[in-house]
Amino acid sequence: MHDLTQTSRREPVSGVARRAVLRERLAALAPLAGLIALSVTFVLVGNAHGVNMSYSVQTLVNQSVIIVVIATGAIFIFSMGSFDISLGASTLVAAMAGGLTYNATESLWAMLAVCIGTAVAASLISATLAAVFDLPVFVTTVAMLSVLGAVAVALVQTTGGAQIRVDRSFAREYDTLPVKFAVAAAFIALCVFLFNFTRLGRAEKLIGGNPMAAKLTGISMKKSAIAAFAIAGLGVGLGAFLTVLRTPTLTTTTAADIGMNVLVAMVFGGMPISGGPRSRIYAALIGGLSMAVLNQTMTTLLASTSAGNGLAQVVRAAFFLAVVWVASSGHRTKLLPR
Amino acid sequence: MIIPVTVFVALTALCSINGVSLFNTDDSLLLLTRGVATTMLTAMALAINLNSGRFDFSLGSMATLSSVIGATVALNTGGGIVVMAAVTVGSGVLLGVFAGLVYVRLGISPMVCSLGITLLYEGVSFAISGGANVSFLLDTGLTSFSKSPLNMLLVIVAGLAVVFVIFDRSRFGYDYRSLITGQAAAVAAGTNERRNAIGCYAVSGGLMSVVGLIIASQMGYIEAGKLNFGSIGVMFTAFLPMFIGGFIGRFSNDKLGYLLGAFCTTLIGLAFAALRLTSTAQSIANALLLVGFLAYLSNEDRLKRAWRRLAGPPRGTPGPAAPSSPAKPAEVPAVTGASAS
Repeated sequence: MHDLTQTSRREPVSGVARRAVLRERLAALAPLAGLIALSVTFVLVGNAHGVNMSYSVQTLVNQSVIIVVIATGAIFIFSMGSFDISLGASTLVAAMAGGLTYNATESLWAMLAVCIGTAVAASLISATLAAVFDLPVFVTTVAMLSVLGAVAVALVQTTGGAQIRVDRSFAREYDTLPVKFAVAAAFIALCVFLFNFTRLGRAEKLIGGNPMAAKLTGISMKKSAIAAFAIAGLGVGLGAFLTVLRTPTLTTTTAADIGMNVLVAMVFGGMPISGGPRSRIYAALIGGLSMAVLNQTMTTLLASTSAGNGLAQVVRAAFFLAVVWVASSGHRTKLLPR
Repeated sequence: MIIPVTVFVALTALCSINGVSLFNTDDSLLLLTRGVATTMLTAMALAINLNSGRFDFSLGSMATLSSVIGATVALNTGGGIVVMAAVTVGSGVLLGVFAGLVYVRLGISPMVCSLGITLLYEGVSFAISGGANVSFLLDTGLTSFSKSPLNMLLVIVAGLAVVFVIFDRSRFGYDYRSLITGQAAAVAAGTNERRNAIGCYAVSGGLMSVVGLIIASQMGYIEAGKLNFGSIGVMFTAFLPMFIGGFIGRFSNDKLGYLLGAFCTTLIGLAFAALRLTSTAQSIANALLLVGFLAYLSNEDRLKRAWRRLAGPPRGTPGPAAPSSPAKPAEVPAVTGASAS
């Protein structure tokens, strides 16, 4: 019989191992430390420039909430080591479909349902194509990016103009902080539950960490991928819904940068791009907020110069690389990462 | 040659059926050579790092920033196209070296690193131009470069020759291939992976700078105000030719494959234009082609096995031996992935 008393006794831990664990923990805290440092800078810069902080915080929430919601859902895909490049295009098409639905029905709930339905359908097409034809998910999302871009153009053309307009007063009525917080909180709570307390979340992380072990334990790669894409689609649908409320005049460039910003936000928040057991749902929240705080600070500092936006992006890039470098410091090997 | 010839014949037939010509304008040759040059160089720039497992989002931003630097210097010095080309290509190589150094020094995932580099280079382009286009529409010296099919042919030949010599006829190329096939073994055997990676980024940056030069010269201006990853669209045009090139490369040389892949995709683009397809239809057709081609590649063995079952054994070859006894069935010839391909 196995002696239980032996297992309760602590194994001596060497100094090197302890330092390695400590380094890994510090690295994991780097994104949070980055957010705190950015927030302090934001307050200091805002006060020094006489900025209306209440208005700035509102802008900050408006900037971050859509990214946070979409990124939270997308973590299910990225934790498997997969990659979806079509998130922005999917958000745009879902928002356009939702906008057209509202114009036809004047129903908030119909618009919400169509936003979610369109985004989930687009997401599932990518996943199903990959599963049926045995393709890398990234390739099908590249193809979907192209198709969704074309669909967005076709949807705009149905109005006979270059944009889809949703009633501005209706949008303003629901474009409020309580609505945004309610949508974000409900979705994040669902994702936290699924990711941390169900078999699905464990399966996604195991697939990302060790696909062979996942296969040998009987996990279905295809079903897991389809489930991950469905949840990500739900996030995209909610993001699209909030996009229509925030930007009721939709053009083909409305959500152009969302896809990449979602990726940057996740990495900013400490999400490893290869997925696996170090995947964390909170990475989306920390990353999305960090990006918004940094953007607001840079806008305050550099808005007056013609090169301001460019310089702000240079600072954002430097900060991004620095945070990622610190966050990955506990996992370097002699070989270059691929 | 089967793929490009089949594509050419099929598209010519399709155009004829619809009563149009594949080469229906005076500048069809120019469009063809320019399309092949930009697509082939982008596909090679993408493939150089992707073959080593390094996905690079920064290709478009390198093309933009290097051409912004080249055009700005040429406009300020009055040096003309020679100065613009020299500075653009030099800048492209240096931008590639910088991207490689960041990747190697920070030791972070190449995809994440390329996101940071893209943001950085887009920001610098914006800061240099103040967010406006860098325009030289009326400077015929600068705009004439990409209006000559001969220039484009020279670019294609030079690009192929440079990449062929670097990757197929040099120590650098041998190290590159050893790192692709066995990273750990190659490093253990003494290959300098970091230097090789920086070199790959430098070549990639140099190739993208030529793409930037061609596009700038063709348009007469450079859109330098793209922020938030507005520059990454350039690379998506290169996926299909890159995969076609990789496939052709299995039977000959992959560089020749990229040339033929670029030729096929440019022909498809010309056919779309001749058939007056809408941009929506073009995007969907391109996506279907990409998925269809990769679906074929991923299921090649399965399709070949199915085809063999349908066609039966080849003529003149003995079929499987009859069972010597009911208790011992004939052995079925094993078809491995290697033999199937």
